[in-house]
Amino acid sequence: MSSIDTPADVPKPRAATRPAPTTLTWVTLALMTTASVASLRAAPTMAVYGLACVFLYLVPAIVFLLPTALVSAELASGWNGGVYRWVSEGLSKPLGFLAVWCQFAMTIFYYPSLLGFVASTIAYIIDPALASSGPYTAIVIVVLYWTGVWISSRGTKALAGLASWGLIIGTLIPGTLLVVLGMVFLGQGNPSAAPMNASHLLPQWTGLASLVLIVNNFLSYSGMEMNAVHVSSLKDPPREYPKSMFLAMGLVLLIFILPALAISWVVPADQLSLTAGVMQAFDAFFQYFGIGWLTPIAAVALVSASLGGMLTWLAGPSKGLLEISRQEGYLPPYLQKLNKNGIQQNILVTQGVVTTIIALGYALIPNVSSAYWIFSVITTQVYLIVYLLMFTAAMRLRKTQPDHPRGYRAPALGVLCVTGLLASLAALFIGFVPSSQFGSGSVWAYIGIVGGGLVILGFLIPWAFLKFRKPSWRTADADIPSEGDRA
Amino acid sequence: MSPTRFASEHKVIYWGTIVILVGLVITGLVRYESVKTNNETESKAKQLQEELVKAGYPAPDTDTIERLLGTDGGQVCEQPGNALKTALWKIQQANGAAGPGMRPVISDTKAVQAERIVLQVYCPDKLDDFDDEVEDLKTDDTVRR
Repeated sequence: MSSIDTPADVPKPRAATRPAPTTLTWVTLALMTTASVASLRAAPTMAVYGLACVFLYLVPAIVFLLPTALVSAELASGWNGGVYRWVSEGLSKPLGFLAVWCQFAMTIFYYPSLLGFVASTIAYIIDPALASSGPYTAIVIVVLYWTGVWISSRGTKALAGLASWGLIIGTLIPGTLLVVLGMVFLGQGNPSAAPMNASHLLPQWTGLASLVLIVNNFLSYSGMEMNAVHVSSLKDPPREYPKSMFLAMGLVLLIFILPALAISWVVPADQLSLTAGVMQAFDAFFQYFGIGWLTPIAAVALVSASLGGMLTWLAGPSKGLLEISRQEGYLPPYLQKLNKNGIQQNILVTQGVVTTIIALGYALIPNVSSAYWIFSVITTQVYLIVYLLMFTAAMRLRKTQPDHPRGYRAPALGVLCVTGLLASLAALFIGFVPSSQFGSGSVWAYIGIVGGGLVILGFLIPWAFLKFRKPSWRTADADIPSEGDRA
Repeated sequence: MSPTRFASEHKVIYWGTIVILVGLVITGLVRYESVKTNNETESKAKQLQEELVKAGYPAPDTDTIERLLGTDGGQVCEQPGNALKTALWKIQQANGAAGPGMRPVISDTKAVQAERIVLQVYCPDKLDDFDDEVEDLKTDDTVRR
C-alpha cells in the first residue's frame, strides 16, 4: 500500500525537531483521501431516492467536489502544508490558523457519532441487544478512539496502510460485490425496484425540503482537501498530488453512486424504510439472493472502513494545527510536543481527553445522545469556514503570486473558486434551516443554537488562542516552512 | 527507534487488526441466524403487507419481510425508544455523506411512517416509546415514487 523511507536514527524528542518524513505513494494518498470521505454507510440512505441519487451526487460533484479537488490540487502542487499554509500565504497567518482550527475542531464532535455507529455495527455482529447499552457503547468508543490515537502516534506509515486497506476491504470489495449482484439481478430479467426512467432522474420537488436535501449533499464531499497536509510525504508533490486527487475524485464518485443504485435496483424504497438501520438494509439486499450470511461480513467491512477513515482524520488536521502553531506560536509549547516518531502526540492526547468526555456524555446521558445530531449541523457549519477561506485564498494567490511554481494549474480557477464559494455559502445558509429532528421548535431557537455553536467553536476559541499567544511559544522559524517549500 | 523495531511494531499493528477483524467475521457468521419461515411469519408478513397497502404503500415482497422481521419484528422491535438507538437513527436521517459532512435533512414522511407500521404489527406494545421519540419529527415527501 504505502512505501516508506524508514527513519534511520531518530533524534531525541524535542519540541522543534522531527525525524525524516515518511514517503507515501500517490496511490496511497488517493486511498487515504477516499477513505476520509466515502464509505458504504450512506448507500442505503441514498438508495431510497432511486435514480435521483445520481442527481443528488452529481450536482454537488460539479459545484463542490470539482472546485474543491482542482483548487486544492493546484494549491498543494505549489505549497506544502495543507489548508493552513494556503490560507496563510493567500490571506493572513491568523486566518490560516482559523482554517486549520475549524478543520480540527469539528472532528472532535465527529468521532463520538462515528464510533457510536461502529459500536452499534459491532453489536449487530456480536449481540444486537448491546446497541442499546450505554456502558457498552462508551467502552467501545473510548477503546477504539484511544487505539486510533496510539496507532496515529506510531507515524504516518502505519495509519496510511490501515486506512488504505480499510478502504479496500471495507468499501471497494463489498461495494463491487453490491454492484455485481445488482447487475446480476437486472441481468436475470428482473425489473428494477426503483424506476429507472427519465421522469425519476430528478428528486421530488417539494420546495424547501428538497432544497435542503440537494444543498446539504454538497457536504458529502467535504474532506477532499484534508490529506493535502501529507503532500510533502510524496516523492514529487507537484506532479503526484494532482494525480492522487483525480484518482480519489473518481473513486469517491463511484463509491457513492454505484452501490446506492445497486441497492435501489433490488430493494424497493419503501421496503428499505421498513428495516430501520444500515445493516438491516444490507440484510434485505443479501436476503434477496439467499446469502444473508454475508450481512455480518458486510458489517465487519463497514467497521474497518469507518475506522480507517477515522485514522486519516486523526492524523490530518492535527498535523496542520501543529505546523502553523510551531511557526507562529499559536498554541502553548506543551501542545507542540512531538514524540519520537515526529507525531503531534500532545495535541492528539488533549483532543482525546475532550473527545472522551463528549463521547461519555453521548453514550451515558440520554439527553445528550438524543440531541447529539445538532452537533453535526454545527460542525458542518464550522467546516464550511475552511472552504470559504480556501477558495478566497486560491483566488488571491493567483493574483499575488502568479509566478509561484505550481505543478498543476487548475483551468478557469476563478470560475472554480466562485462556484465553490457560492456552493459553500449556500450550504452555510441552508444549515440554518431546521431539519426533521428539530420538530416543531422555534426557527429562531434553531438559528440561535446553530449560530451560537458556530461563533463559539469557529471564532471565539481560535480568537482566544490568537489573543493569548506569547512570542516564546514559537518553536520553529516562521520564515522557514517546516517541511520544505517548492517556491 | 531502529528501523527493525519500527517495522516490527507496524507488523504487530497489522496482525492485531487482522486477528480482530477475522475474529469478528467468525463471531458474526456463528451468531448469524436466518429466520425460519413458518405459518406465523407468513401471517405476520401478510398482515404487514395489508397495513402498508392500506396506508398507501406498494405491496412489499412478503418472502423478504418474513426473513427480515420473523415473528417478533427482529431488530426493529428491539427497544425502539432507547436513547442511543434513537440518537443514531436521528444522526442517520441525513444527507449522502459518509464522513464529517454528514448533516441532518428533512426526512421523507413515508420512510418514517413505514417503520411505525412495522411496530404496529409486530410489537404494538412498543409503539408508544417510538412515538415519543419521533412524533415531533418534521417530515416532507422528498422521495419520488
